Amino acid sequence: MNQLPVEYLFFVGAIGLVGIGVAGMLLCRNLFRVLLALVIAEAGANLLLVLTGYRWDAVAPIVLPGMPAGTTMVDPVPQALVLTAIVIGVGIQAFAVAVLIKIYHGYGSLDRRRLAAMLDRDMNELAGVGPGRSPEAPAGKRPFPPPEQQEGRS
Amino acid sequence: MRNLISLLFVGGLVFLLLVLTLQAPFAEGPMLVGKGILQQGTEETGTANLVTSVVLGYRGYDTLGELSILFTAALALGVVLGRRRPEAPRDLEAGLVLRASSDLLFPLLLVVGLYIILHGHLTPGGGFQGGVILAAAFFLPVLARPSQRISHAGLMALEALAGAAFIIIGLLAMRHGGQFLQPLLDKGQLGSLLSGGTLPLLYIAVGVKVGAELAGLLVRLGDAEADS
Amino acid sequence: MNAVALLVVLPLLAAFLTPSLGRVSGLAAKLLGPAVLLFCLGLVWHYSTGDGLPFSIALGGFLPPLGINLYVDSLALLFAGIVFLLVLLAWPWGDGSREQYALLMLLAGSSAALALSGDLFNIFVFYELGAVASFGLVVSAGTRAAHLATFRYLLISGLGSVLFLLGVAIVYINTGTLNLAHLATLAPQSLNNIQGLVAFVLILLGVGVKAELFLVNSWVPEVYATAPGWVSGLLAGIVSKLAILVLLRLLILVFDFPDAHNLLLLLGVAGFVSGELAAWWARDFRRLLAFSSIGQLGLVFIGFSISGQAGVMAGLAVALHHVLVKPALFYLAESWGGALGRLRGAGGRSPLAAAVFVLFALSLIGVPPLPGFWAKMLVIMGLAGEGGNLQITAIAAVLVVTVVEAAYLLRLVGSFYAGDGPEAVPSKQGPGDISRALLFAVGLLLAMVFVLPLGDWLSSVSGEAMNVPHYVAVVLQRGELQ
Repeated sequence: MNQLPVEYLFFVGAIGLVGIGVAGMLLCRNLFRVLLALVIAEAGANLLLVLTGYRWDAVAPIVLPGMPAGTTMVDPVPQALVLTAIVIGVGIQAFAVAVLIKIYHGYGSLDRRRLAAMLDRDMNELAGVGPGRSPEAPAGKRPFPPPEQQEGRS
Repeated sequence: MRNLISLLFVGGLVFLLLVLTLQAPFAEGPMLVGKGILQQGTEETGTANLVTSVVLGYRGYDTLGELSILFTAALALGVVLGRRRPEAPRDLEAGLVLRASSDLLFPLLLVVGLYIILHGHLTPGGGFQGGVILAAAFFLPVLARPSQRISHAGLMALEALAGAAFIIIGLLAMRHGGQFLQPLLDKGQLGSLLSGGTLPLLYIAVGVKVGAELAGLLVRLGDAEADS
Repeated sequence: MNAVALLVVLPLLAAFLTPSLGRVSGLAAKLLGPAVLLFCLGLVWHYSTGDGLPFSIALGGFLPPLGINLYVDSLALLFAGIVFLLVLLAWPWGDGSREQYALLMLLAGSSAALALSGDLFNIFVFYELGAVASFGLVVSAGTRAAHLATFRYLLISGLGSVLFLLGVAIVYINTGTLNLAHLATLAPQSLNNIQGLVAFVLILLGVGVKAELFLVNSWVPEVYATAPGWVSGLLAGIVSKLAILVLLRLLILVFDFPDAHNLLLLLGVAGFVSGELAAWWARDFRRLLAFSSIGQLGLVFIGFSISGQAGVMAGLAVALHHVLVKPALFYLAESWGGALGRLRGAGGRSPLAAAVFVLFALSLIGVPPLPGFWAKMLVIMGLAGEGGNLQITAIAAVLVVTVVEAAYLLRLVGSFYAGDGPEAVPSKQGPGDISRALLFAVGLLLAMVFVLPLGDWLSSVSGEAMNVPHYVAVVLQRGELQ
């Protein structure tokens, strides 16, 4: 590999997007930002997938009148795959935003660590187990004030 | 500590992918399936746009799955957000600029959306792209005049009909002795509007379904904002 | 004309129509799903008893590898049948909403599609469909905890699908095809290198999210603890099993190299050990079941890591045993969900449910005549047959952890029959839940009685699945219209 063609920049861009997205998912504390990071990572993966069909000096895979026979075209399959993957991503993102709205109504926060602690408490309450090791102990002092809005207001 | 591990993981992933893609046969890959489709695609499906022949022909079954995912997401979103209370306050009407431009844009978007759907087998575009434009056309008036609502039940029925139409076109092919989703009808003259057999019909179903679904998603999300 | 596509298409069609139908007539919406499921079960029965298996159909009439094909063999039909049967058993007759009915049909259709699919990207599409449908079902519990658990599940699953797509991109750039049979012919040259291994790891992590693989299973206890009990049963019974079937197909056809097997063994042992230890610490019934489910699926991965037919058979045996046991336990959890302490003396109050639980617990541990014993036995024999250092360590880990498993399950069983419980007595099982659990128990006992014919049959199924040249021949040469 003595000299890299400039087209490799596309690859660097796609993989960079995946890296930014995954890093954002692991590092951000606000759940909405985590979701945005997921969207970025998906964009990177889609870009990488569409690049797999790249050809030098090729045109879009559409037969136009007057096109000379034997024109090189790029691979149509990855384009169709990415179209599918993008639409799948959109559906999941819309659903995720709706769930986020309900989470914010329910808990009054979108901070990942606070929510993790509150989810743990909620699950213990749901199961009728107190915090800590002793199953019989009372619920103890709550680490966070209970949010004003509860579920059941859909 | 956790952050450090995360960064290491991301760095490793990026490095690995970079090394792999630099080694991979970029732009000279085998492209076995792609070559086959480029050679036979126009004859087998009769569409000038080969991406369409892949989306609706060779991988039409994937498209059915994709439509189902959008439908499922809309359904699950409905489960999450629930029904809107009738007494919930509505947003105020938007200003003159938005109202006037939404009135102007609505017919334009409608025409562009329909054009893109109908020419999906000839030019770049198709049911998904056109459907998104249709959804925008119907969502813009809702933004401008929040007191006018689009009926959820109507959208749901439209979605159901379009999805069922896609499947029924596929099943009709089975009745005629073919496989599920096999293209029917005459392939027509390559490049003319009435070509590609049943593929344009499938794309119309896709366009209507995507439009209704995305409009429904947006309207429901808008409702959820309004009653908080 | 071949009607196999109906197994996928009819449930999807029913799902599209159910919400709108429900506005006209609630009863019709409730009955449409079971009717379609029964029809699909009949179709599965028709194909699995008829001859001509395995065969392949080319959807849209486009021959593979250009088009997508469905591959129908005994293994695919077995899993499709399990899917329809479990969804039918879990059908919420009493209190379901039309959205739930539609989501259940979507889950059934996507799972059947995964069982039959012969195309890598098609697997991705229907895998995502199953994921979204299960999000919807979990979230239908309606509590804020369910919302949060679903969102965290969604994030992990989203990360998984990004990794899966990256894996698909690497496979495609190296081979130029997505058809599994075509990949099977190309893999020995183009994927038997570092590119193939990385693609395998990425796809493994992507599919592993649903298969409760170690590293990407943090959603399991949260979701199983907050979802309705019958939904948890379906997730543990169907969704994880289909993910496993997909992994099995990929492992046999595309990524059949030693590094992949070793990696699977490591992750499987890690999953088994961590799952069972966490179950030992768990203080409420549902999370105990969730962690035990992680452990059992770890055992399945250990089974698949064994090369050759013995491995496939061992993994399948553990997976099928888990299908029989876990949904039933989640039905019991509908009213027993809660602190383990509340279950003291449950044996006196609901003797039937307690007896069923004891049966399942003994089978999970692997007490000899029960099917669970034979499943674990196959895994250990397979590992011993391999004989490497790694495999011997794995045997030791499995045996030690089985003791832990026995300890926590027997501790629970013991408390059932120990004196009176506290005041907070859990309600008795509803008649629906207990009779469903009983059905599974009867199935388990039948499997115990007919263990020898079952073993022969499983051996022939896995032999058929292992036959890669035959798979390739069926798909690529006989893929034409039938």
